[in-house]
Amino acid sequence: MVDYIKFSPDVARDWKSVQSAVRGDTYRHCARRVEDASTSSQLRSKLWIIEEVSNLDIKVDRVALLAGWYANFIVPLLIDELGASFIHNFEIDQDVKQLSYKFNKRYKEEEKYKCYIVDVMFEPIWNFMKQGASGFDLVINTSCEHMFPMHKFLKINRGFLDNPLYVLQSTDDDQYDDHINCVNSPEELAEQANLVDVLYSGTKVLDNGMNRFMVIGK
Amino acid sequence: MTNTILCMKWGDKYDQIYVEKLKEQCEQNCSVPFNFYCLTDKPTQPYDIQIPTTLDNYYHKKRGFFWAYRKIHMFNDLVEGNQFLFLDLDVIIHQDLKYFFDLDMEKPWIVRGWWNDLATVKNNYSKNKSTPLNSSVIRWNKGQMKSVYNHVKKNAEIIFFTYPSLDNYMAHHWYDPWSEEEGFLQGLPKGDVYSWYKGNIHPDDMSKKVLREDHKICLFNNSTHTEGNYDEEIKNLW
Repeated sequence: MVDYIKFSPDVARDWKSVQSAVRGDTYRHCARRVEDASTSSQLRSKLWIIEEVSNLDIKVDRVALLAGWYANFIVPLLIDELGASFIHNFEIDQDVKQLSYKFNKRYKEEEKYKCYIVDVMFEPIWNFMKQGASGFDLVINTSCEHMFPMHKFLKINRGFLDNPLYVLQSTDDDQYDDHINCVNSPEELAEQANLVDVLYSGTKVLDNGMNRFMVIGK
Repeated sequence: MTNTILCMKWGDKYDQIYVEKLKEQCEQNCSVPFNFYCLTDKPTQPYDIQIPTTLDNYYHKKRGFFWAYRKIHMFNDLVEGNQFLFLDLDVIIHQDLKYFFDLDMEKPWIVRGWWNDLATVKNNYSKNKSTPLNSSVIRWNKGQMKSVYNHVKKNAEIIFFTYPSLDNYMAHHWYDPWSEEEGFLQGLPKGDVYSWYKGNIHPDDMSKKVLREDHKICLFNNSTHTEGNYDEEIKNLW
């Protein structure tokens, strides 16, 4: 069981650079969001992924993160705990891209982490892959409540992603304006993605009181 | 080159007086010839053109997302003309509209809400809030906005689900708050258009409910305005 993140000197250096950045003019407006991305609830929901993927004994190599935000917790967990060889984050926010590179500078320099600006509901992510490159074997979306149901993503990327395993998270907490696609259960989340082979399905109440649903499947 | 001024009216909240008043303002404030049309769901006047209903099925009234979607139809060559200027019904025109027909048209123009704090715009970008654009005034040449119409038509289900407003959609797909020079749309410069309820230019000139007659147009946009919710303060200023 993995119940913590490894806080090595390299991690400390990279995270410190984000703290410095959000004190400066360019990224000051991001300070609150960086805080929001660093809560115990955020960490717990990412540790949950690592735990359940480990329990399923799935080998993780190439990972696509959809709307992965700063990817501050999930990237080190996937690389350090599950041995992922590279992670590509598909985001829409330029500030997020730049700060995610600071959070993950050590991995970016080793070409293990890359962030692309794209809305994954409008454009296939394989458009961003080099010709002849391998696809992804794991697709993670922990932001399903913020976007159109995942069946659209599967449709526009069908046949190009090496039949990946999907890890999806969402919630029934509809008090926020930007939670435009809440679901009532993990079953509904799996249905939205047309998953036919569900390997894991569960619910967790996070420290902030939010119900979090997760499904893993194809 | 034919100059065309367009407005739109649907539903019952804006009465015909708004259209007549806008037409009158255009006639008083445009020194070049122009044709005037109103795209409407209930044509009654010689200048009225029926709004198509082809996107109506995508709109969920209870949800209210993308509620100004009918504006998209005006980009589909519905109206004759070469140079188009769209104006919302709730605007006050201060200066000669010839200015808009003389603009360099390398890219279409839209209101850049200079009253917005760009830091807030960026911060709320992924939440689909605090859009820097406002579709109350749009200037384009024939065919120039067709790609916007086609994009909405092709992706209607997702767009109606995702974006609270047309302005927000425009800001995400046709504009870039991080590189404002590089978007498909360009924002009208500071000093052209201001907002009665929100101010003019952040942070230096944010006084609200002030007429600035050296500017071209005053908007009456308000964050509390959603479909079917308008006030009539503009009538006191006509």
